[in-house]
Amino acid sequence: MERENKIHMPLPTAWPMALALGVALLVTGMVTSPGVSLLGLLLMLLSAIGWFRNVLPVEAHEYVEAEPDPMQVPSFRSSIEYLPAGPMHRKMIPVETFQFTTGLRGGIAGGIAMIVPATIFSLLKYHSLWYAMNLMAAGGFVSWAEQSDQFLAQFHIEGFLAALAIHTVSSLLVGLLYGAMLPMFPRWPILTAGFIAPLLWTGLLSSVLGIVSPILNARIDWWWFVPSQIAFGLVAGFVVNLHAKVRTSQFQALPFAVRAGIHANEPLDEAGGPESLK
Amino acid sequence: MSTAVAIPHQPIEEWKLPSRGIVGMACLIIAESAIFIIFVVAYLFYIGKSLTGPTPREVLEIPWFATVCLLSSSITVHFAVQSLRSAKVNLCAAWLAATVLLGGIFIAATAMEWYDLIYHYGLTVRTNLFGTTFYSLVGLHASHVIVGLLMLGLTLIFALMGKVNQHHAERLEVISIYWHFVDAVWVVVFTVVYIVGR
Amino acid sequence: MATQTQVTVNPALERGWLYHVQDWVTTVDHKKIGLMYIAYALIFLVIAGVEAILMRIQLLVPNNNFVSPEVFNRLFTMHGTTMVFFVGMPILFGFGNYLVPLMIGARDMAFPRLNAFSFWVSAFGGLLLYFSYFAGSGLYGAGTAPDVGWFAYAPLTARVFSPGHSTDYWTLSILISGIGNIGTALNIVATTLCMRCPGMKLSRMPLLVWLYLVVSGLVFVTISPLTAAQIMLLIDRYLGGHFFDTQAGGSAVLWMHFFWIFGHPEVYILVLPAFAFANEIIPVFSRKAVFGYPAMVAASIGIGFISLSVWAHHMFTVGMGPGPNAFFTFSTMVISVPTGIKIFNWLATLWGGNIHFTTAMKFAIGFLFQFLVAGLTGIMLSVSPFDWQLAGSYFLVAHFHYVLVGAILFMIFSAFYYWYPKITGRMLSEKLGSWHFWLFLIGFHLTFDFMHIPGILGMPRRIYTYEADRGWAIWNMIVSSGAFFQAVATLIFVWNLVASYFKGEKAGPDPWDAWTLEWSTSSPPPSYNFATIPTVESRRPLWDRKHPEEPDAHYE
Ligand code: HEM
Ligand SMILES: [Cu+2]
Repeated sequence: MERENKIHMPLPTAWPMALALGVALLVTGMVTSPGVSLLGLLLMLLSAIGWFRNVLPVEAHEYVEAEPDPMQVPSFRSSIEYLPAGPMHRKMIPVETFQFTTGLRGGIAGGIAMIVPATIFSLLKYHSLWYAMNLMAAGGFVSWAEQSDQFLAQFHIEGFLAALAIHTVSSLLVGLLYGAMLPMFPRWPILTAGFIAPLLWTGLLSSVLGIVSPILNARIDWWWFVPSQIAFGLVAGFVVNLHAKVRTSQFQALPFAVRAGIHANEPLDEAGGPESLK
Repeated sequence: MSTAVAIPHQPIEEWKLPSRGIVGMACLIIAESAIFIIFVVAYLFYIGKSLTGPTPREVLEIPWFATVCLLSSSITVHFAVQSLRSAKVNLCAAWLAATVLLGGIFIAATAMEWYDLIYHYGLTVRTNLFGTTFYSLVGLHASHVIVGLLMLGLTLIFALMGKVNQHHAERLEVISIYWHFVDAVWVVVFTVVYIVGR
Repeated sequence: MATQTQVTVNPALERGWLYHVQDWVTTVDHKKIGLMYIAYALIFLVIAGVEAILMRIQLLVPNNNFVSPEVFNRLFTMHGTTMVFFVGMPILFGFGNYLVPLMIGARDMAFPRLNAFSFWVSAFGGLLLYFSYFAGSGLYGAGTAPDVGWFAYAPLTARVFSPGHSTDYWTLSILISGIGNIGTALNIVATTLCMRCPGMKLSRMPLLVWLYLVVSGLVFVTISPLTAAQIMLLIDRYLGGHFFDTQAGGSAVLWMHFFWIFGHPEVYILVLPAFAFANEIIPVFSRKAVFGYPAMVAASIGIGFISLSVWAHHMFTVGMGPGPNAFFTFSTMVISVPTGIKIFNWLATLWGGNIHFTTAMKFAIGFLFQFLVAGLTGIMLSVSPFDWQLAGSYFLVAHFHYVLVGAILFMIFSAFYYWYPKITGRMLSEKLGSWHFWLFLIGFHLTFDFMHIPGILGMPRRIYTYEADRGWAIWNMIVSSGAFFQAVATLIFVWNLVASYFKGEKAGPDPWDAWTLEWSTSSPPPSYNFATIPTVESRRPLWDRKHPEEPDAHYE
């Protein structure tokens, strides 16, 4: 394509603009008078031909003289020290982390675990296996919220299916969100997932549930709700912790000794950067 | 500090990118499909909701012949591209002519159907919801057929003038993709209007 | 033939203005087209901004008579329509046009002529819309602009309720600008897929390019339904069809569905480019590579898909029944997951970084915070019972302006400060930039924080005045006063754009020590962008060139 230092570029042309004007006049005629449309149609025809001849048989082009690219840009970074001096110009935070799917697995496990305290709550307070489940299903059936406690204590197949769907989807979503946050908080998954996240989540829920569904809000027993959230979190965090951490791409940059595990007790995911690894 | 920098070039694997004509046409097809979906949804939504007659059952005949013509034109256009690829320009022109003819028959059939509907049954866009949705959906499709016919017809003329050669195979392929799309849309329109809607 | 035309380096100086006009009218250069998009959007920004100010003057005090109710109706209709279709879309496409080829190491768009056509047809659409002020009822009548609201609900648009042509102006101008939008989107997709320089795999593309790819994909499946709906409206109005004619069994709710099937993804079309700018600007001024690139790409695609399934949260008050209400409440909340992922990733990019508070970065940080708040009010509105209270109130107006101004406009300003040096070769003044930022920030919060309150107190949107005893007066006063701060800040910005063009500090090719390919060519770039097509080995090609001893390629 390049001939010496000339570059092949498309030739400027007014036909596209003329065609656009034609289209615009065509529709303008619809709100003014048909003559304008006719003019637009003519212009469209004319410019379609013009455009056509511009690209066929070969696209019209010109050769533009080129100057060499300026890109010998030195980095100021090499001259000004922004970071504490190290052998490398980069800082490495975290070198090891968890995979996204780990979060999902945690979500599933937590979702299963959460059923236990919820069921204990149902049994103790309402002597029924199904109360907590029906309460959750009531989120999907607007009419259920007004039902009596007896009704909610019985087994209903549609309630079972609705609760199952709601519970599965929300466990997966929480797991997904958790998985997305994990790379940022690779340390202490049991603490972050087990306590902090459930507390935040419960706080959020308790503040909006009064608006979303006041009747549901009246029936939820927050003293039981919090422990079941925590159960969710603890199990999710535990499952995550079981999984091996994966190395982030930064890992390969570490000195060989560290990678080989000779300096294994170095704090790998310390935010300190390479200089702490010397 | 280094100013002139030698970039450590790894030998770059062979760099192949998709053809822009085909990608562009694919985009156009996605956009057009969205337009058709909305019209189809409107048609389905309004089936049986007209307050006055005539109803589809009373006036619509299933256009088997036109449908067969249009669908087989997909095959002929395919052969046209094939023959241009192998540099058989005359053969290509013949296939193109067949395509244009088949498409022309389809349009003529639609025109006759509309003439019948308007002058014998008095069904227009204004008559009822069926009229509104029928003419707009079928008309939208027909206008696409006409655009396709124009492009194919022009190509045919150029082919007859001997201005088309093997290098244009890709462009012709882009047109043929459009034509296949128009045919596929007809399958949907046909099902919705003449089978479900009746 | 013209194939041998030579363009010498700087001929513009000796030629007259006619030469310039011809140059711009006939250009097929993606950079010039991008600039025309931006310039035209800025002009409409000023026009629609003036309309907003007029409305705020009218609402400044109770029982005001500054404009008549009819004029007020036209003002909010034109303001909304202009801002969405003739400011938002063109400015974002303008930046996309300018940046995408440069960032992927290409010399032009895939279809340069189509690009020019798309721009011109959208531009003429805007002109047509404003021509309605002179000829709205047809050339021979008195002129009026459209006054049916930016979503033009049926049956208000039926011939009986809006006689004359004012509504047709609205329909037709949007219709043809839609053609342009689809053309440009097609071009962007074809460019990103087919014009990348060697080594620029999809997994190495700058996130901005990824987001523009998603946006363009969304344009196909959103602008097209709008086009279809507009065609139906035209059939109703011109040919006497019955699509939205309730007298003949047609459905007004169908129009709502069609409009919002367009309308909701459209707001994401507008906000994703803002994300795109943030993705480039935040890392550069944090001096860190963007955190979680694959998650960012996945979240962008996820947002694109989910945004297609939430439209009816605009229709909770129509009475769709508990099933659809529950579904759309839920799907709307789901969208906060990928959005949350993005926010976390930006925070993680900032975290531990060496943050440089340039004006561009200040705007970007304002964006982060304000987008979060707007997302939260959005979640509140997505809860259908809550929405029944607040739909159609000023709370809703505050919600979406928080996004449109607080997030999108802030990021657009940020983008101007960041790329102006590339576009013109001169830096924008940081001092004026500071004034601009702080004044705008104050004005923004005065206006839009306080706008939530009259909404909660029950003030409906689109009323042209209100009584003094409603308790809304003080809030409206505050809201209107904020508008003036914003106007002044915008004037400073415009002045900065003009003055820096002539007197700004010279920028050089790479003033920010940035990492993407556009900074490797001179500022402003030559018409061919790159004399030699670059090759790329990592997501930050310029980092590799600046630090050959430890290129990014080793880390990805
Ligand atoms: C992040 C999550 C978001 C959520 C959950 C959300 C939710 C909502 C809801 C439920 C409504 C309807 C309110 C009503 O009509 O009563 C609404 C309206 C609106 N939103 Fe959002 N939104 C979000 C983000 C955005 C973004 C990013 C934009 C713009 C770029 C935006 C722009 C708008 C607009 C323009 C309207 C009002 C349309 C009108 O009625 O004229 N929203 N939003
Ligand atoms: Cu929405």
